[in-house]
Amino acid sequence: MNPLHDDKFASIERIQEGFKEAGYICSRKIATTLYLGYHLEKPILVEGPAGVGKTELAKTAATFAGVPLIRMQCYEGLDESKALYEWKYGKQLLYTQILRDQLNDITKGAEGLSDSIDKLHQYDDIFFSESFLEPRPLLKALRQEEGAVLLVDEVDKSDDEFEAFLMEILSDFQVSIPEIGTIQAETRPVVFLTSNNTRELGEPLKRRCLHLYIPLPGPRLEREIICIRVPGISEKLRMQLVSFIQQLRELDIKKVPSISETIDWARVLLLLHADRLSSDLIRETLHIILKFEEDIKVAEEHLYDMTRKAKREAEN
Amino acid sequence: MEKTISDFILALRSSGSTVSVSESIDAMNAAELIGYHDREAFRDSLSAVLAKSFHEKEIFAECFNRFFSFDTFSEETTRPPCGLASEHLEGSFPLAQMILSHDTAGLAASIREAARETGINEIKFFSQKGLYIQRIMRNMGLGEMQGVIRRLYQEDTSSSREMAERLEGARGYLFKNVKDFVEHQLGLFSGSAIEELVEDHLRNTRLSDLEERDFHRMHTIIRKMVKRLNDLHSRRRKVFKRGQLDFMKTLRKNVTYQGMLFDIKWKKKKVDRPNIVAICDVSRSVEAVSRFLLLFLCSLNKGLARIRTFIFCSNLIEVSQVFDEYPVEEAIAKLQSGKGLGIMLASTDYGQALRDLVEGWSGIITHKTTVLILGDARNNYGDPETGILKSIQERCKRLIWLNPEPRSLWGIGDSEMKRYLPYCHLAKECNTVNHLERVVDSLL
Repeated sequence: MNPLHDDKFASIERIQEGFKEAGYICSRKIATTLYLGYHLEKPILVEGPAGVGKTELAKTAATFAGVPLIRMQCYEGLDESKALYEWKYGKQLLYTQILRDQLNDITKGAEGLSDSIDKLHQYDDIFFSESFLEPRPLLKALRQEEGAVLLVDEVDKSDDEFEAFLMEILSDFQVSIPEIGTIQAETRPVVFLTSNNTRELGEPLKRRCLHLYIPLPGPRLEREIICIRVPGISEKLRMQLVSFIQQLRELDIKKVPSISETIDWARVLLLLHADRLSSDLIRETLHIILKFEEDIKVAEEHLYDMTRKAKREAEN
Repeated sequence: MEKTISDFILALRSSGSTVSVSESIDAMNAAELIGYHDREAFRDSLSAVLAKSFHEKEIFAECFNRFFSFDTFSEETTRPPCGLASEHLEGSFPLAQMILSHDTAGLAASIREAARETGINEIKFFSQKGLYIQRIMRNMGLGEMQGVIRRLYQEDTSSSREMAERLEGARGYLFKNVKDFVEHQLGLFSGSAIEELVEDHLRNTRLSDLEERDFHRMHTIIRKMVKRLNDLHSRRRKVFKRGQLDFMKTLRKNVTYQGMLFDIKWKKKKVDRPNIVAICDVSRSVEAVSRFLLLFLCSLNKGLARIRTFIFCSNLIEVSQVFDEYPVEEAIAKLQSGKGLGIMLASTDYGQALRDLVEGWSGIITHKTTVLILGDARNNYGDPETGILKSIQERCKRLIWLNPEPRSLWGIGDSEMKRYLPYCHLAKECNTVNHLERVVDSLL
């Protein structure tokens, strides 16, 4: 990446502080990986349960470095023409129709077919030039002069073929467009790939990336996150809320609440002007953190005990 | 330090994690960038570079702690007496000096150094322990020490005798520490070698001879195998002819625009994934084998192609949904007990099973289907209904029969294999995991 950002990524501590200012609490592990990713110029593959802030990490990295975030959402059937570049076919056709008269002028004096084709050949590159090129996220990221953060979101949802295609770009940061030539990254972007593990990623892709696993946060980290993301919430409620969520994660449920759900819940409680948790309040708002009917039933069974324990823990 | 990292990578590999060459280069670069002073940052950065999945992270954490553990020397009562006059040692004898002056750090370093020279990272089996201990001791200068002890005994004065005894004590102490060290290294480097041997053996063992305790290990082997098959064949599951202009279609489509080529059509062709119907015998006679066959079908079902699975004994039922609903072990236990599934576990009836299949699910067998029958064809002298098998064979793409019995037993006693044989495209003896793999490979 650009030497411009070197001072921002100068040390692990600097990264941690900078991210905190941008509203993202990152553990030392995350900061170390970012530091390595920046200095070794390697893409970072981020894995972890849904909602722990994988996408958020890339967004914050863009804010922190002060460069644009270019995001590419992967899905089944995604291919080069949607990820890298495409010719503006419509525009090409339209222009050839509009310019028909000029084309006639060019071929006017020519004798015979081969002669006119020869004449046309002098111009044929016009229609395959940059002005007819539609850049897609990957190409866009390579052409940013100031550098960029490229987020390839949910790469596990894409096909194997696309994964293979991605490798070329990630290792050399260049693409070749047959009609134009090779396009090299002006400054290498910082690349994040996220995966939810719906399928195992290929070994070669993993080999080219640094790997970061973000687990669900412990109580201390989660309190800090809530503190920074939902600043208006009272100290006591925050303690109770985090303790409750931590207990909830221990239950045998289908989908454990993630950080994003904790934040949502905290915001809701703030809106309701709650200053402490009570069983009734939790019961009414439980659907915000749990997304399955069965899970809510399981949680309701343990509701009383968990609330009491949360209150007790908050006081200590 | 580079040597240490490459040793660490060796240890990591032997604990079952795969580390490529490019990753080890990355590890060196990362270590250079981060430095060695901060243990936590060092560990985190190596972890980011070397361990590429949650499972590997766990292996990594364990291996890191073991490998970079501080050298703890055994501090025990038999430790050699200190404060010795070194008159007999003449200063030119560092090993004994170190032991006698309790320089544990120096000793640890010299053990490591000697071990490196012997190539300890190639240790594979516990039977090599003695060899390595001897080599390390020799590299550390044991021979010299023996010489000194012998000489001291020969001098035969009271002080020299005392000195010799002390040195012998020191030798014992050293031996114990080197032994600990070698055992530690064996734990680090040998991990996978024994496992590989066992695995290799299991793959070639008859399924019916496998014991209960190997079940778990078998499960891992089968999962590995299915994963490999999957890696090989999933690619073919959807091959598109993408990016080629379909000229005919484009022309046809654009007739509406007076032949102006506005709407461009591309070639697209999707290749079907394998369509398999598996029918498995779960009766008493094949009980031991069928457990593994079911395990195999289950893994296939989860990892690979979409399979319709049926089991039968006295009658036939479909069980595809059981694999979806329950985790592997539970699913297999459920299928074997047959509780709540509506299967009758009386005497095996192949005729009835075939009739059930044709009556209940006749629609699923098309010209694209591969039918896979797993069973010993022992029909208790009932009607084999070869006619139905013939009609199935005529309708399907391929009919494969896997029989756990060796070929020489086919058709003997109540086995109807010889009568079914003409209607199978392929009939094979299948009673080891390797057999299974070969068949499935040809299937896909």
